[in-house]
Amino acid sequence: MTEHVTCLGCGCACDDIAVVVKRSRIAEASNACTLGAAWFGDGVVPAEIRVDGRAATLERGIGKAAELLTGAARPLVYIAGDVSCEVQREAVAIGDHLHAAVDSLAATAAGAVLAGQRRGRATATLGEIREHADLVVFWGVDPGERYPRFVARYATARGDLGKTRRVVAVDVGASRGPKDADVRVAIAPSDEVDAIGVMRATVAGRDASAAQFASAVDLARQMMQARYTAIVADGEPGARAIDPDRAEALIALGQALNGPARCTLYALRAGGNRSGADAVLTWQTGFPFAVDFAGGPPRYRPGAGSAEALLADHEIDAALVIGAPATIPGPVADGLDRIPVAVIGPRASTSAVRPVVAIDTGVAGIHEGGTAFRMDDVPLPLRASLEGPRAALDVVRALRDKLVHGAR
Amino acid sequence: MSNPERLRISGGAVYDPANGIDGAVRDVCIEGDRIVAELPRDAPRLDAAGMIVMPGGVDIHSHVAGPSVNQARRLLPEEHAADPVPAPRLEDGTLARTGTGGTVPSTFATGYRYAGLGYTTAMEAAVAPLGARHAHAELDDTPILDAGFFVLLGNDDYLLRQIAAGETARARDYAAWLLGVTRAYAIKIVNPGGVSLWKSGGDPGRRNVTGLDDAVGSSAVTPRKILETLCAAANQLALPHPVHVHCNNLGQPGNSATTLESMKTLGGQRAHFTHLQFHSYGGERGKPWQSAARNVIEYVNAHPETSADVGQVMFGPATTVTADSPVEYLLATTAGGGRKWVNVDIELESGCGIVPYTYKEQAAVAALQWAVGLELFLLSTDPWRVVLSTDHPNGGTFLSYPELIRLLMDRSYRDECLKLVNQKLLAGSALLDGLSREYTLGEIAIVTRAGPARLLGLRNKGHLGPGADADVTIYASDGDRSKMFATPRYVFKAGTLVVEEGQLRRAPAGRRLAVSPQYDTAVTKDLRRFFDAHATVSFDNYGAEPVP
Repeated sequence: MTEHVTCLGCGCACDDIAVVVKRSRIAEASNACTLGAAWFGDGVVPAEIRVDGRAATLERGIGKAAELLTGAARPLVYIAGDVSCEVQREAVAIGDHLHAAVDSLAATAAGAVLAGQRRGRATATLGEIREHADLVVFWGVDPGERYPRFVARYATARGDLGKTRRVVAVDVGASRGPKDADVRVAIAPSDEVDAIGVMRATVAGRDASAAQFASAVDLARQMMQARYTAIVADGEPGARAIDPDRAEALIALGQALNGPARCTLYALRAGGNRSGADAVLTWQTGFPFAVDFAGGPPRYRPGAGSAEALLADHEIDAALVIGAPATIPGPVADGLDRIPVAVIGPRASTSAVRPVVAIDTGVAGIHEGGTAFRMDDVPLPLRASLEGPRAALDVVRALRDKLVHGAR
Repeated sequence: MSNPERLRISGGAVYDPANGIDGAVRDVCIEGDRIVAELPRDAPRLDAAGMIVMPGGVDIHSHVAGPSVNQARRLLPEEHAADPVPAPRLEDGTLARTGTGGTVPSTFATGYRYAGLGYTTAMEAAVAPLGARHAHAELDDTPILDAGFFVLLGNDDYLLRQIAAGETARARDYAAWLLGVTRAYAIKIVNPGGVSLWKSGGDPGRRNVTGLDDAVGSSAVTPRKILETLCAAANQLALPHPVHVHCNNLGQPGNSATTLESMKTLGGQRAHFTHLQFHSYGGERGKPWQSAARNVIEYVNAHPETSADVGQVMFGPATTVTADSPVEYLLATTAGGGRKWVNVDIELESGCGIVPYTYKEQAAVAALQWAVGLELFLLSTDPWRVVLSTDHPNGGTFLSYPELIRLLMDRSYRDECLKLVNQKLLAGSALLDGLSREYTLGEIAIVTRAGPARLLGLRNKGHLGPGADADVTIYASDGDRSKMFATPRYVFKAGTLVVEEGQLRRAPAGRRLAVSPQYDTAVTKDLRRFFDAHATVSFDNYGAEPVP
C-alpha cells in the first residue's frame, strides 16, 4: 500500500489517498471520491510507441518527433494534463528552443486569470476557509459536482466556528449553489454583473436600492458583518462560460470587503496539475499561458495567441503535446486533429487526435513522482504507487536533448 | 576567453576586506572552483592590471523565488512585455533560456542579471513553509546564483501555541525541524503576530499589532515573546545566520520606537534587522513623518550583536511583495487606492501581500524614505553590520545597486540628487544637514560582499583567501562608480567564467544553501497530531524533501 498519495482528478489535489495494488493493478484508492477513483482507475495504461500508427523504438519515436518539430514553420507546444511540474519545465524549455507557441490546460480559466492581472486578488490557501471563515458564499457553484471533496476537506469548520458558520448559496439561473446551504440568494444571469456591482457599492457605503437587487444588497450587508467571508466561485468553464466581467466584478467585491471585514475569493480549478503549468510558465517566462517564443523572448498573447485561436486560424503546422491527450479541451483537440502532432504522455497511443508520433508514459501521481500544484498554488509531492511505462520526464528530456544537440 | 582549470588573475587592485586587503595590487589564484594561495608560474593568466578585483557579490535579502514572487510575476504582464530578455549565446555556441525582466524578472533572467552585476550569491528572504517545494523548484531554474531562502516563522499557529503553553524547548525543536524539512537557510520573522491577527479577520481596528506587548490571540503570546522565542532558538541551534527580523509597524510614522524596542528586547543576542529603512521613521500615526535614522543607527552602532541591511528606496518602479499582508492592504487602499493588490492568506503559517508601486522624487514620503536609507548608510560606523539591500523588488530592484553605490561613494552627485527631491519631510534629517561621508571601494566591498557573507555565516563566500569559493568579480576602474559597478569586465562563479565584457558566457547551475540542525525528534509526534487536526497537507507530504 502506498499512503499519502496525491490525486490529480480535480484541483483539490487530495493528498490522503492510500493506494492498494494487487497483481499489478490498483485494487483500491481509499479516501478517493468517485472522480478520484475514476482518475486512478486500475492503473493499467498502454506502454506503446507508435510512429505513423506502427510500433517503433523509443529512439525512432523521439527522432521522428524532433524531425516533425524542427521541420515546422510554426510549431505549438501544448501542455496537457497529468504531468508533473518537472515535465512541464522541460516542455517550456522545448518551446523556448523551438521558438514555438506554448499554451496549456491552465488557459481554460484565462478570463479569470486576466481579470486577476488587471486587479490582483484577495485570496488564501484553501485551509483558511475551514480555519477562519464564518461566512462561506458559494457563488453559482456547488463544488459537490466537479470538486467532490472540496467542502469536506477545505470548507467544513470544526469546533466553535462550526457552530456559528453560515453557508450561502448564490443561485445564478441554473448554476446553483449547494443544496444544504443555510441561505439562498437567487440572481438572474442577466443581472449578475450588475448585482455584484451593487454589492460593491453597498460595501463602499453607497446606497443602491433598486428592488431587483434587494437580496444582493442584503447579502453584501451580511458579508460586511461577518469576520471573514470566503467567496467560492468556479474558475473553470462548464454549463456556463467564464465571463471576464463577472470574474473581475467578483475580484473587486472580494477586495472591497476587506475594508469592513476580511474576505477571500477562491476560484475552483480542475485537475491534471493545470495549476502547475500556470506556475511553471509564469516563473520561466513571466506569463501564465498563451506564451509565444516566435520572436525569441517570450511574448504574451492571451486571446489571439492561445492554442485554440492559433489552431483555429490554421497558423500552426505541427504540434507537440506533452501530457494526457484525453484532458485536452474540445476546441484545442479539434484543431490538433487537423495537423501533424507528436504526443508524449499518458495513453498517447489511444489519442483521438491521431498523432504521427505517440509515446506512452506513466501518469504523474500514479506511476511517476514529481511535484504538482493544488488549485490554490500549494505544491504537493506526487508518489508512484505502481510500476508504469517509461517516465514522461525521461522521454521529454531525451527529446529536448535531441532537439538541442541532435545535429552533433 | 576559455575557462581554464587554473587561472592567475594578475595585477589587479584587490579589495578583500575579510583578509585585510584594501586595494593592494596582487594576484588572485583560482584552481577548480576554489581560491588557492599559489599556482605554478606557467598557469594561465588573466591580466587585470588597472582593474579592480573583488569577491562575487552576496545579497543578504532579496525576493527572487517562491509562491509570493510568482504571484507578483503573474500580476505584471505589462512589465514583462516591455522588457524581453533574448536568449544569451553562450561560449559553446548554444543558446541559453530566454526570459523577461521588469521589477520581478523570470527565473533565468534573474540569474543572468544578478551575474551581470557581479553578484554570485543571493538569499530569498521570505518563503512560507507550505511553499518551500515551489521555492526550490524556482531556484533550480535560477542559474549561476548560489541561493538559499529564509523560512517564515512567527505567525504560524503551531509556534504560537507552543509560546502560549510556555513550551520554548519544543518551539526550538519545531523551528529546527521546519528548517530541515523545508531545506531552508535561516529563520525569518515578519511582523510577529500581526499577520496572524490580519488572517483572523474581524474588527478593522484590530487586524494588526501596534506594539510589542499586544496580545495575539492568547495574552501569553505577544510580538515580544515571539521575537524572544525564535531569537533564542536560532542562537541555541547555532544557525549560521541569526533570526532575520522584519519588525512590526513597517512603513508607519513613528515606527522607530517599535524598531528600537525590538532591538532592545533581543539585546545581547545575535539578531539581524532587515530593511531597516522601512522601520526608521519618526512622527506618529496621523501626523507627518520624519526621519528617525539617527536614533536607530546610533543603537546599531553601539551594539555589536545587532546587524541590519538597509532596504534602500530607489526612485522608479518597484513591486512591494511581503508576508506582511496588513501593510499591503494599507498601501493598496491609501493615497487614492486603485492599485493592483494581491493578498494571499497562507493557512496556519503566514501571509502574502503584493502592490506594484513607483517611488517618485517629487513624492514627499518616497523622498523621505530615500533619505532615511542614505542616512542609515552614511551614519553607520560599522559597514560589516549594516549592509546593502533594496529589499528587491520592494525598495527598488537589484539592478539599481550600482546607482546606490554611486550615491554612497560620490557626495557631489548625492547632493545634486538631494536638490531634486521633495524636501517637505526632510527637515531635521541628517542628510539635509549635510553628510560629507563618501564610501571607499573597500567599504563597498564590505557592504556588498564581505559583510553579508559574514552575517550569513557563509565562510567560503565574500572573500578571496585560500579555500574560498572562486566567485570573483573584476571591474574596469571608472570614475563613474554607477557605470563601473553596472558592467563588470569579468565575473567568475565557482571558477567558471560566467560574464565577460557584459556578455553572459556560461550559465551553470547554482548551488543550494541550506541548514539541517539537530533537534529532539519527539516534537514530530506532536506535530503529526497537529497536522492531523488542522493541516490540509499530509504531514508526510509537507516540506521540500524528495518523497520515495
